[in-house]
Amino acid sequence: MAPDNPIEEKEIKLEDLKVIKALWPYIRPYVWMLCFSTLLVFLVTLLELFMPIFTQKAFDGFIVPVSPEKGTSLFGFGIESFQIFCTVFAVFILTTFIIDFFQSLFMEYTGQKIILNLRNALFSHMTHLPVSFYDKNSSGRMVSRVAGDVENMNEMFTSILIFVFKDLIMMTGILAILFTINSKLALYLTGLVPVIVISIGFFSKVLRNAFRTIRQKIAEINHSFSEAIAGINIIQTTSSHNTFMQRFETLNFEHFKATLYQIKIFSIFMPFISFLGVFSVAIIIWVGSFEVIEASLTLGELVAFLTYMKLFFRPLRDLSEKFNLLQSALASGERIINILNTDKAKQRISKNRNQIDKISSVTFDQVNFSYEKNKIVLKNISFHLPEGNSIGIVGQTGSGKSSIINLLTGFYKQDSGDIFINQININSVNIEDIRSKTALVMQDSILFSGSIRENITPSGLDMDTTSLEKALQNANCNFLFKKFSGLDTIIKEGGRPLSSGEKQLVCISRAFAFNPDLIIFDEATSYMDSQSEQKVHDAMKKLMQGRLSIIIAHRLSTVKECDTILLLRDGKIREQGSHPDLVNLKGEYYHLLKKEKI
Amino acid sequence: MIIVDATQLVIPQIVKHAIDTLSSASLDSKTLFFQCIFILFLGLVMAGLRFGWRNLLMGSARHVEKGIRDDLFKHILNLDMTYFDKVKTGDIMAHAVSDINHIRMAFGFGLIVLVDTILLGGTTLAIMLWTHPKLTAFAMIPMPFLIIVTRTLGKKMYVFHKTAQESYSQLTELVRESFFGIRIIKVFNFETFIGKKVETASTDYFKKNLRRAFVTALLKPLLGLFFNLSTIIVIFYGGFLVMQQVLSPGELVAFIQYLGILAWPVIAIGWMTNLFQRGMASLKRINILIESKASVSSPDHPVDLKKIKGNIQFKDVSFAYDNATSILSDINLDIDSGASIGISGPPGSGKTSLTQLIPRLYNTNKGKICIDNIDVTSIHLDFLRGHIALMPQESFLFSGTIRENIMMGQDMNENRLEQILKVCCLKDTIKEMPDGFDTIVGERGITLSGGQKQRIALARTLMLEKPIVILDDPISQMDTHTASKVIEGINRLSLNATFVIVSHRISALASCDKIYILKNGSIHHSGTHSELIQTDRFYKESFLVQQFEEEHGA
Repeated sequence: MAPDNPIEEKEIKLEDLKVIKALWPYIRPYVWMLCFSTLLVFLVTLLELFMPIFTQKAFDGFIVPVSPEKGTSLFGFGIESFQIFCTVFAVFILTTFIIDFFQSLFMEYTGQKIILNLRNALFSHMTHLPVSFYDKNSSGRMVSRVAGDVENMNEMFTSILIFVFKDLIMMTGILAILFTINSKLALYLTGLVPVIVISIGFFSKVLRNAFRTIRQKIAEINHSFSEAIAGINIIQTTSSHNTFMQRFETLNFEHFKATLYQIKIFSIFMPFISFLGVFSVAIIIWVGSFEVIEASLTLGELVAFLTYMKLFFRPLRDLSEKFNLLQSALASGERIINILNTDKAKQRISKNRNQIDKISSVTFDQVNFSYEKNKIVLKNISFHLPEGNSIGIVGQTGSGKSSIINLLTGFYKQDSGDIFINQININSVNIEDIRSKTALVMQDSILFSGSIRENITPSGLDMDTTSLEKALQNANCNFLFKKFSGLDTIIKEGGRPLSSGEKQLVCISRAFAFNPDLIIFDEATSYMDSQSEQKVHDAMKKLMQGRLSIIIAHRLSTVKECDTILLLRDGKIREQGSHPDLVNLKGEYYHLLKKEKI
Repeated sequence: MIIVDATQLVIPQIVKHAIDTLSSASLDSKTLFFQCIFILFLGLVMAGLRFGWRNLLMGSARHVEKGIRDDLFKHILNLDMTYFDKVKTGDIMAHAVSDINHIRMAFGFGLIVLVDTILLGGTTLAIMLWTHPKLTAFAMIPMPFLIIVTRTLGKKMYVFHKTAQESYSQLTELVRESFFGIRIIKVFNFETFIGKKVETASTDYFKKNLRRAFVTALLKPLLGLFFNLSTIIVIFYGGFLVMQQVLSPGELVAFIQYLGILAWPVIAIGWMTNLFQRGMASLKRINILIESKASVSSPDHPVDLKKIKGNIQFKDVSFAYDNATSILSDINLDIDSGASIGISGPPGSGKTSLTQLIPRLYNTNKGKICIDNIDVTSIHLDFLRGHIALMPQESFLFSGTIRENIMMGQDMNENRLEQILKVCCLKDTIKEMPDGFDTIVGERGITLSGGQKQRIALARTLMLEKPIVILDDPISQMDTHTASKVIEGINRLSLNATFVIVSHRISALASCDKIYILKNGSIHHSGTHSELIQTDRFYKESFLVQQFEEEHGA
């Protein structure tokens, strides 16, 4: 809704060298390909430079023979017939074409390959980022990094890198030639170099800023689309099209403004470089003419100097044309690196992390936690979940129930206090060990598009159809077979065509199929009627036998059979004990129970 | 641009002039000075003009980009739910950014190149024809081939670009979905699995992209080849002509030089074909999206209504999302204006679908729905939806402040807001938030519990004072205590509207005038609370279970 965002707004700024350095590991494996590509570029350029020589030889040897007898020599071979000469010329052209084609293809291939690897690496890095990262950054925005920004880097690895290299070498070469012709004039020309360097420095700063804004706005646009689609039924039923349209138009206009600014800057830059060319011609003529008069320079040399100078400015112009792309790519590069530099979830603190084969107990010892500094969510939480036991957590919405789960599954890290798994501090346990033995069913039932089978089979674990169907039946998912096509039912975006209640049932079957040591149910049956809920609870009871379980509920009836019940209010455990204990206590739990009767 | 091209040709003339003066060895420093100044002046003019046309052309391309994107967004907002069952979010996102970008490139650079090609190429060709028509004709021998090749490659580019963009769309969607469900991915250790899926998708894109790159890589050298072939023909044939003394060597040289000028337009054609075909394919993709008519749309001649009283009728209504699975069959309902209606039933019995049919989020497959005895299909959509307040089952908050999420761009009515916040038990909740009413929530905001989200969504719906209010499972995420307070509050609110509530909690349904129990898409039973306890097993059992839970607790 609001166009501004704390994360996106924080400008991502990196030095060019840092960007290159951070990207280097992804380029490294392909360096030889890039070098080969550059070599081919030189070869093609060289061949192209040969073209005029062929024409010249055609004239001197055949068309207007210089010597009385016809014929010329190419690379030491004498050719006497004009027809043969032209055939050789044609073959030469064909060769050029083939090499040129091969070079272009090879270059594209290299670039795409780098991009492919970068994208895969970026995505894999992102899936390992802590959940808190995703809580702060919307998925629409993050998508634009993996998709758009990586795409935007493409040209960096193809044309830019190779041609910049080539152009720079050509410019140095020509400058060297200019020095051999007349070092004094060339010195005048080198006086131009600092001007070019400074102006490039200046323009790159301004342009980069413009591109930063552009890329950031693109991410916002992505976000707007994804959010509008996700909330489309609300937008349509609250008749707030216009509000959303206006917001989007404002955003799109900001993007437009940023692009216009960029165009303006670039439109100044390119003519500026061209002007420098014209300017130096004027200077050289001015200075050169006096030298000619003083006879320290021949006229021919001056002409040659001017011709080569033209050659000097051509790669410079090409370079500046690429400059725009380079800045855009670097702006995207910054955004990618910014993510690659975001630390993965800090989970492997201890080197000798302990292997866990089975989760048999969970202990919280005086745990404090907050998402933001000044707002404490959990205060002094201590409880113990011994082998085979179950804990029920109740409390009003926002009392911190789900936060306990966030800590246990390693989505977040506690501020102070300790959490123990099998008496081992969670810090020295590989969090993936815990997760692979934990089944979590959340409030929001998330299903991915694909078949039911894909949705409930854990990765790397081939399950046969019968046991999958068993899991579905346990979770009361018979409707899948009656109404839909069972395990092969195709789920679309957002879990359609299943209803919310049905989605919850499928999510529960996912936990059943998983055969976990620790089961966590976080308000997992909210969209169900009492009877379906009852059936699921019966199945859960079976599943819970011999395992650890944590059940979060807002209805006391759901948890009353748990061995221990924690009553949470404002992030603190107010009461703790079994159902009869708490009833006898006649405290808050008892009062809540009475209220629920109404 | 024409002036720039022309000016470019003038400078060498001045340089030539300066050198001529030099060679006559008579240096007049004053003339030289003026010549230098003149060169500088021309340089400045060129720079100015270049700035102008670059700004203009690229700016207009950006303008096109902005326009298309605005249109696309607007169109998306008006599409119905059925459409989003078919087209994925990531797909639309790829359209909105990548495809529009390709169109812009075709417009911006394409236009520049096109103008340049026609101007420069045309004049040069005219001069060539003027000097030696026959030689020109010979030089043009490769031209037909060039046209054929460009066209074939162009078509290939069009197809390859389209498939590549489709693959890009899929990749975008996969990535979006993965980030959206990151918690599930993490807790079930789906990382490698999803990583592999993305790798497959990005490899697919890589392959399709490579095909696109193949055409690009072939086009430019191929055009160079044709151009060079022309040069050979001119040298070969022209050479013979010179040898036969039909042509002067000077003429041949000049001709070859003109041919040299043609090199740039020829390369430009290749470049343009490349950009243009990509742009066209992307434009086609966007057009398909924009032309896709919403299957739910306002009638051409909507019934002129002044207000809606709130009588709702379902007449033999059947509904299915796809033809395979029937969701609702032969539903008949008659809800008086101002009545309150409860709906309950097991998961997947069609409760949500039923509520969504009233504001016409979907069309019925059979039968009709009438509001105040007028078929909803003959009412203007904006009017219809403008009179219905619907709270969807799954609470969705937009990223923005709580205020924005409740007000949804409407004007603030302080009293009403105060009242609603109280009903939804939000006053204390909001007070405790870091920035109160202006706390950012939603995808990038603070983490809210399910119940908090639901209460904000409820407040949003209740703020709309509409003659028809529909709440789909409004208290499912709340704890029992809060839920009963909220229900009490709603009952006290005297909405002065037709009220439809879907719930599993008997406490939320009990006070309704009439309650319908859905089962497998049809009305199983209906009646008041006391009637249903007698007649309907589902209702009775639900009631008993819920009562038992409470009793047992006590």
